[in-house]
Amino acid sequence: MDIRIVTDGPWRFRIEQIGAMRVPGVVLAPRELLPDESGDQALQQVAHVATLPGIVRASYAMPDIHWGYGFPIGGVAATEVAGGGVISPGGVGFDISCGVRLLTAHVDRTALLHRLPALMDRLDGLIPRGLGRGGLWHLTGRPQLQEILLGGARYAVEQGHGVARDLERCEDYGAVGDADPTQVGERALDRGAGQVGSLGSANHFLEIQAVDTVYDEACARAFGLCPGLVCVMIHCGSRGLGHQICSDHVRAMDAVMRRYGIDVPDPQLACAPVDSAEGRAYLGAMAAAANYARANRQLLADAASRAFLQLTGSGLDLLYDVSHNLAKLETHPHDGARALLCVHRKGATRALPPGHADLPDALRRFGQPVFVPGTMGTASYVMTGSTGNRAFDSCCHGAGRVWSRHRAHRETSVRQLRHELAGAGVAVRPASWRSVIEEAPEAYKDVDAVVRASEHNDLGRLVARLVPLGVLKG
Amino acid sequence: MPCRDVSPPDRPDLRTPMTTGPGHSPHGHRSVPHTGDLRVEAWAPTREECIAEAVRGMVGSFADLPSDASCVARECVVAAGDDGRLLVVVLEEVIYRMDAAGELPVDVTVTPEPGDVRVRFTMADSSTATQTGAVPKAVALHGLRLAQDAHGWACQVTLDV
Repeated sequence: MDIRIVTDGPWRFRIEQIGAMRVPGVVLAPRELLPDESGDQALQQVAHVATLPGIVRASYAMPDIHWGYGFPIGGVAATEVAGGGVISPGGVGFDISCGVRLLTAHVDRTALLHRLPALMDRLDGLIPRGLGRGGLWHLTGRPQLQEILLGGARYAVEQGHGVARDLERCEDYGAVGDADPTQVGERALDRGAGQVGSLGSANHFLEIQAVDTVYDEACARAFGLCPGLVCVMIHCGSRGLGHQICSDHVRAMDAVMRRYGIDVPDPQLACAPVDSAEGRAYLGAMAAAANYARANRQLLADAASRAFLQLTGSGLDLLYDVSHNLAKLETHPHDGARALLCVHRKGATRALPPGHADLPDALRRFGQPVFVPGTMGTASYVMTGSTGNRAFDSCCHGAGRVWSRHRAHRETSVRQLRHELAGAGVAVRPASWRSVIEEAPEAYKDVDAVVRASEHNDLGRLVARLVPLGVLKG
Repeated sequence: MPCRDVSPPDRPDLRTPMTTGPGHSPHGHRSVPHTGDLRVEAWAPTREECIAEAVRGMVGSFADLPSDASCVARECVVAAGDDGRLLVVVLEEVIYRMDAAGELPVDVTVTPEPGDVRVRFTMADSSTATQTGAVPKAVALHGLRLAQDAHGWACQVTLDV
């Protein structure tokens, strides 16, 4: 499919609606954040998503857009359920409910510095990550895995892995309703059984950070943030279980979508009407994987909190936990009325505006916290949802890759990366230095530019900037 | 069964501009750039050897297995609707066994059977491996290709990491 991209002011581009596209594409990024690697297909993928049956308003791309499969990473698309709108597992991604949680410590960076090496060593030995390291939670058997699929972080807290307050600070209060473990295949269960409480590899991490700058004092105070405060950010998802569910349901939808008269330009966009047997089956399995992901992050956070308690005398408080790979049935304005839409966010964070009913009381006035991890050598941001967000209350989810893993190996080395991070005062405990090269800061877009573009496009407001002190990578 | 380390040390596939490939060498594999994930290309005289090369390419992208690891033999028969999907199913089998059983292949052979293929893995415990890259978790259908050309068979596949 040929695409035609036109400038729409200094902060965004429009992909004109042509051919099989049902809506235009809207790329919420200035020119310097557009993909520029030879052969990159991210913008083509924005146009492909615009062909999905039932899509409304536009196929959106966040400022951190980069090349994915089917959907771009940083893609947002909403389909109207009543109009035969579809759900596409590729619009959620393999790592279902991959997301970020941020916890605040009771110590500032100056006080922590002399204890940081010991804390990093403790976490290094504690947190499973990388190839074949198992999980923190040794389940008693399949029935307990089923409980996790139904109860998510709520079940983990009930079992002693956290406190009740944690659940107030989780999207969906720690568990997605309507999870249907019967739609989760045996292979997914086999893969998930030994991985609850593990980071995985690639861009997933546990990072000790400090608040470097506060942009909105009132909001930061409500979020529990102040300059110098130490925080812990955790980024991971539903591990092998979520990936297997995605693969299984893409295959199932690919087998039946022609029966629904659906044709897609990329097999990874396989889809079925939300209101169909296949659509409902995927939604039930997706919710189960989302609960697994929330339990996974809950276990990791609980372990980190215990390590902080032992070494600093106080634990960690959860600020918020939010996914950036998920589809949700939400009500939004459409054609002059409110309509039930299936909002796909693939590498995009839900960003509820101030006053939204789904926010906990303590946060409602300020909007939903949005976390934008940068890189292990630069910075991460806390943003909050803002009003007037046309992308169905969605925001960016990270810096967004700009180099291939191939190029990262070509242009940097272990020695160079170690030198660079040591110079920046960042303590790194990787599972593999050769693997961590692929996550070199230069492999990502400038996260400062990404959040600036997000703010200019009304996707969210800046609250605070965090800098890394210590990084655990898989 | 003797073990053989299929992962070349120091990942020359990532460091050196390719001078081999379809048309240059009868069989082999390499990784090619993809912004977020991992893309593997493989080639061989037959469809089955090409699939086996893709397995070697995938495993070699993230794990070095010791040559003296103790191994076990595993065997399965897989089928799919077309050649590309057959490649996907074999690669998914490797990922599944890695996650569920903690095993990684140090060698693999793929042979034709009527309507499907038989895959024989020589498996080592994944805990003996040195991680050298991001660990694959799924096989994407985006950009998938396994087809015969003038030089034999060639494939391209994207792996989620």
